[in-house]
Amino acid sequence: MTSTSLLSVRNLVVEFQTGEGLVRAVNNVSFDIPAGKTIGIVGESGSGKSVTSLAVMGLLQKPAAKIPQGEIFFNGVDLLKCNDNQMRDLRGNQISMIFQEPMTSLNPVFKVGDQIAEAIRIHKNVSNRQAWDKAVHLMNLVGIPNPSASAHKYPHEMSGGQKQRVMIAMAISCDPKLLIADEPTTALDVTIQKQVLELMHKIQQELKMSMMFITHDLGVIGDIADDVVVMYRSNIVEKNNANAIFTEAHHPYTKGLLACRPKLGANPKRLLTVSDFMTEDGKEKQVPASRIEVYEKENFIDHGQKVLLEVKNLVTQFPIKGGIFGRTVDHFKAVNNVSFKLKKGQTLGLVGESGCGKTTLGRSILRLVEPSAGNIIYDGKDITNIGHEEMRLLRKKMQIIFQDPYSSLNPRMTVADILMEPLVIHNEGGNKNQRYNMARELLEKVGLNASQMNRYPHEFSGGQRQRICIARALMLRPEFVICDESVSALDVSIQAQVLNLLLDLQSEFGLTYVFISHDLSVVNFIADEVGVMNAGQIIEMDKASSIYKNAKEEYTRTLLSAIPKGETKRSLASLV
Amino acid sequence: MKKNSIWKDAFKTLSKDKWAMISLGIVLIYSLIALLSATGLIAADWAQEVGTSNLPPSAEHFFGTDIFGRSVLTKVIRGTQVAMSVGLATSLIAIPIGVILGALAGYFGGWVDDIITWLYTTFSSIPNIMLLISITMILGKGLFAIYVALGATSWVTLCRLIRGEVMKHKEREYVQAATAIGGGHMRKLFLHILPNVSHIVIINTSLQFQIAIKSEVILSYLGLGVQGEPSWGTMIDDAKLELARGVWWQLAGATIAMFLVVLAFNLLGDALRDALDPKLKGK
Repeated sequence: MTSTSLLSVRNLVVEFQTGEGLVRAVNNVSFDIPAGKTIGIVGESGSGKSVTSLAVMGLLQKPAAKIPQGEIFFNGVDLLKCNDNQMRDLRGNQISMIFQEPMTSLNPVFKVGDQIAEAIRIHKNVSNRQAWDKAVHLMNLVGIPNPSASAHKYPHEMSGGQKQRVMIAMAISCDPKLLIADEPTTALDVTIQKQVLELMHKIQQELKMSMMFITHDLGVIGDIADDVVVMYRSNIVEKNNANAIFTEAHHPYTKGLLACRPKLGANPKRLLTVSDFMTEDGKEKQVPASRIEVYEKENFIDHGQKVLLEVKNLVTQFPIKGGIFGRTVDHFKAVNNVSFKLKKGQTLGLVGESGCGKTTLGRSILRLVEPSAGNIIYDGKDITNIGHEEMRLLRKKMQIIFQDPYSSLNPRMTVADILMEPLVIHNEGGNKNQRYNMARELLEKVGLNASQMNRYPHEFSGGQRQRICIARALMLRPEFVICDESVSALDVSIQAQVLNLLLDLQSEFGLTYVFISHDLSVVNFIADEVGVMNAGQIIEMDKASSIYKNAKEEYTRTLLSAIPKGETKRSLASLV
Repeated sequence: MKKNSIWKDAFKTLSKDKWAMISLGIVLIYSLIALLSATGLIAADWAQEVGTSNLPPSAEHFFGTDIFGRSVLTKVIRGTQVAMSVGLATSLIAIPIGVILGALAGYFGGWVDDIITWLYTTFSSIPNIMLLISITMILGKGLFAIYVALGATSWVTLCRLIRGEVMKHKEREYVQAATAIGGGHMRKLFLHILPNVSHIVIINTSLQFQIAIKSEVILSYLGLGVQGEPSWGTMIDDAKLELARGVWWQLAGATIAMFLVVLAFNLLGDALRDALDPKLKGK
């Protein structure tokens, strides 16, 4: 342990007792956080990064979790030897933590000011009045507008970004020496993410705290971390200062992580993935030069294909209820006068922040939500007002892949049943055996093993589940698929694999996509044309190859500048 | 990982709970006794005189004899048959009504929901015992009236729970996914949503079962229940006059029998809730 280290983790091992025996979640991990520095811990879900942070906080679920080996020194004290009372004294006071989900980390029945003040009162001997004043001061510090009035608000009256700011205010309320942030921006829109990152960086500098920043996305920490620790399968595979990680990564996994995030403009035809750099057993692999050639989309646009989908002046509105009898007092236009045309075999990307109406637009096109006005013309036929039964038959051709692979699969059905259901509904695919075989073929096509047909969804990881969702959507051989934030819930490394899969399937089956996302770099990579949505309207529409260069609208430029800058520091070629 | 269904996982959790397994054992033993008694293999001769009047418990007569010299143990066994049949019949009536009405109300909402909500709030606003008494008055005394009376009152809780749960699930993405592949209302409701709320039926049934048993005892005690056959309720009713003469064993037999099965169902219901309810997972 060096004298400047605030936190020093030495040979930490964490094991969990599960139904399948002892599982090692953290294997022999050592790192230091010097006073006043930020260290980023990067890795995909299940790599052990969150478990490491919980071990530091003393928040591991006992008795399932065991720490057979290792030391965690904080200011020279071994935290693993502290009892519960000592740990409680440290937590929130000297070490505090920010969690991923600001929506559920705040208590909905208390004012946010009271919640911050409570955190202060627990650890400091101050009066209620002083605690409240300090809370208002902190809310000002984290950039909440009009803090003395906002302190009286309840959590549901604030936006997601503001709630995360409140969480930050609470975490720094006792001037902690160490702040642990576990994926603090993953649940936020890119623009809000940028603001929160900047805020955390500013506060870390001002208060001279140390920070441990956990994320699955290397790009995010490029601007704020001093040192980066890369974790893979419970081990640390690379440790270096942030600049060096971005410019001269050594471990193939780190290179893979850096390469798999789509960049604005210059991408290969298929995104590089971790498996391009590394074999299953962790050995380095030579990436073929053809894999990194920049692919110009312009080449295949417009061969005079016919228009498959046309949306004319579409409006979808929801009633706003008011008064004690719940009368409709007004309407909220989630989609407000949207028009576009989409040619067969092409991809339209829709990008915008949460609440901009992009999801409602997608669902209105499929009439999962009934539009209020305008026309949807599919394959030359106006489907806006066709009957329920006719629409049901049309669903064979129009499919959707949802955002959340955890909730969009019925937990009580096996993969085989999930995949065969569309065929059963539309009475296609012959008998049960033939359907089963079709399902198996498609499951293999999306990269899963046919032996997994009789498993239940909860036995799969997020990326695998999204593959099952994709397979289900393709069972009926549709022409048109809406991908609604289909990769947003996935780790960047998995996201690249799924994006590649979607492109492969598009060229094999001639699919037409509407791809909805809040991430402009993802949309830009996969789409031929990009529509930027704000407040229910498409405010700008352009070819994907040019929108990032000559954006006309201020809003588009805001979205562009919010993309994490981490990756601009290197080129793909430098990684190979 | 092996092939694990949610039910198998739940059973694994349940089998680690010592009290749940003991409770399950008690319930199974009661069911077996009831079954053997119903088929006439045991306790068919409950009306037979086996000794003199009011013999205290002995090795020969475990719970002694009643005023007519009949074995109290045999009467308790016969009463078990009555009690368990009431629990079973009540469930058979209440589950379909509760599940179907609750599912329809939760899924369709609107006026369907209004009517069904009105129906069950009306039912639940009448004190249960009053309703039970009036139904047995109308249908006449006897076992059949008890089945109907309890069935008609005990669907309300289940209906309310299922309604709420279905409302929650119908907004889930997997149901929207079923719409997107062209699934109709019946498919979504019966093949997708109901299997996901079925654990509620099991938990609720195990708790309702003992309520039905207790209600039968109360009704029989009031003289509105089983006629011409032993039941724990009529045994307790008989015992209240005998108690003054120091004849306590009829009361003890019926009460212990009821106590054990009600406790077992309660413990089992709690354990089932822990094992099956995803909301409590990890707590």
